[in-house]
Amino acid sequence: MPDTDPSLEKLIFNLNTLSELGTEITSANDFKRIVKSSLLMVMGSFSASKGVLYTYDAERLVFSPIASKGLTEPAGGLRLSESAMRGLAEHSRPVDIGSGQSAVAHLGQASERFRRLGLKVVAFLVVRDELLGMIVINEKLGGEAYSSYDLQLLSVMAQNIAFSLQSHSLLKKLMHKFNENKELYENLRRIYYDTIHAFAAAIDAKDAYTKGHSHRVATYCAVVATELGWSDERIEGIRIAGLLHDIGKIAVDRTIINKPSSLSGHECVEINAHPVVGYEILSKIKFPWKGIPFMTRNHHEKIDGTGYPDRLAGDEISQGARIMTLVDAFDAMTTDRPYRRRLSFTVAMGELKKHSSTQFDPDIVHSFVSVLKKEASGRADRTTILPLLDEKLDNRAVSDFLKATF
Amino acid sequence: MIEILKGCREVGDTVVLYPQNYINGIEGEKLEEVCGTFFEKGIKKFVIDFSETDIINSIGVSILIGIIEKIKESKGVVLFSGLNKVNLEVFRIVGLTKLIPSFATEADALEEMGATGTPVAASAVSIEL
Repeated sequence: MPDTDPSLEKLIFNLNTLSELGTEITSANDFKRIVKSSLLMVMGSFSASKGVLYTYDAERLVFSPIASKGLTEPAGGLRLSESAMRGLAEHSRPVDIGSGQSAVAHLGQASERFRRLGLKVVAFLVVRDELLGMIVINEKLGGEAYSSYDLQLLSVMAQNIAFSLQSHSLLKKLMHKFNENKELYENLRRIYYDTIHAFAAAIDAKDAYTKGHSHRVATYCAVVATELGWSDERIEGIRIAGLLHDIGKIAVDRTIINKPSSLSGHECVEINAHPVVGYEILSKIKFPWKGIPFMTRNHHEKIDGTGYPDRLAGDEISQGARIMTLVDAFDAMTTDRPYRRRLSFTVAMGELKKHSSTQFDPDIVHSFVSVLKKEASGRADRTTILPLLDEKLDNRAVSDFLKATF
Repeated sequence: MIEILKGCREVGDTVVLYPQNYINGIEGEKLEEVCGTFFEKGIKKFVIDFSETDIINSIGVSILIGIIEKIKESKGVVLFSGLNKVNLEVFRIVGLTKLIPSFATEADALEEMGATGTPVAASAVSIEL
């Protein structure tokens, strides 16, 4: 190979190309564009009319062409043995396919393919002893031989391109892992929610009259919490608490829950224990949301301190529990029970007003009424509470009633 | 679409191409497609006039080599003209000046080509860019 010193002009041109190559491979451009530009820069630097850039596909164990130019037939994939790949990874310098170098022997049938494609010089794209790809180009347009300087330049360009391939490969692996984890997380999340919904259904199934109660309480809780400006995460927490708030009833005898007449003292004690039983169950679970066990324990407390089980008053009861107390009572009133028919919407609202400041937090009553006013007047993003009521209501009448009553 | 030609015109049996200010991106490969449309019309003589071209980098060189190869394959002729000092130096470095004659002006190149016939205005040549 001829070894003449390159001219200053040529050095500047090559330095300029290396600089452009660096800019291109670190750019945010599409990867296909980066590899095509890189290949053209290599070809242009050596006035080669044919070239192909292969990258190693670790899944299919094959070198696939990802950019090519000037070929008269498809480059096609190349399969190399592991030992050949290890051997080639040791070749940091490009080789002439026509030479007797050991790298050519490692290439095996691939070198035959390169000859058939009219290609002459192969540069190995290696990072940390790992063969990531190859650039193969043909002879120079004028037929001159590749000088030592040319091969050195090609080697530097190949190293730059190899780092680009490695970055892309790492990014691809990272994205693959990310998507895998995301899918796993989504599956877990789905299982988690399905389990909670199954619990809610099991709770409601104990009481023939309270079908859907837990779901409605969960929905009402979320709407009121939204009205109060809670964060999405806290809203999700109170929704889950709503689904599970009656879980303690699982421990209560079904005949007591469905008894059509007044309960005896012993029966009252048993049913009134359900918030504490629920708390005992839920406090053993590590929820991603705060306050679920206590919302369950305190959903029968009253703002004036006469509720149960802890006779808490005012701010001693968490806001979540105060919301739940109200919507639980509202749903109990507006649905049929073993011992009475459901109350009408207006009567139930009258009860909320009557017991505001004694049983219910007046601020929560205000927020609940505010939601209903928005739903009845069509100002709500979507109607949630009114469609769930087992009563056909006229929105105008509801609006007028709420305006006159609250 | 990125414009890659300032224009082109037919002078007798020769087509003169006027590349854009820069031939430094892979969009330049469209130039090969433009030449292909002329091959289909039976044209085999080309002058590429670079008087409007400021920068040709290694990508541009690769693209021009692609065009030269295609013209050669179809037994055609290509001449260069209007190269500025910098671009002429780039062509010399990569060896293109040894292969493709370069002329100071388009008229010189056309004379060398022996182009005959009436020049056609650039706008009269219809090609999809």
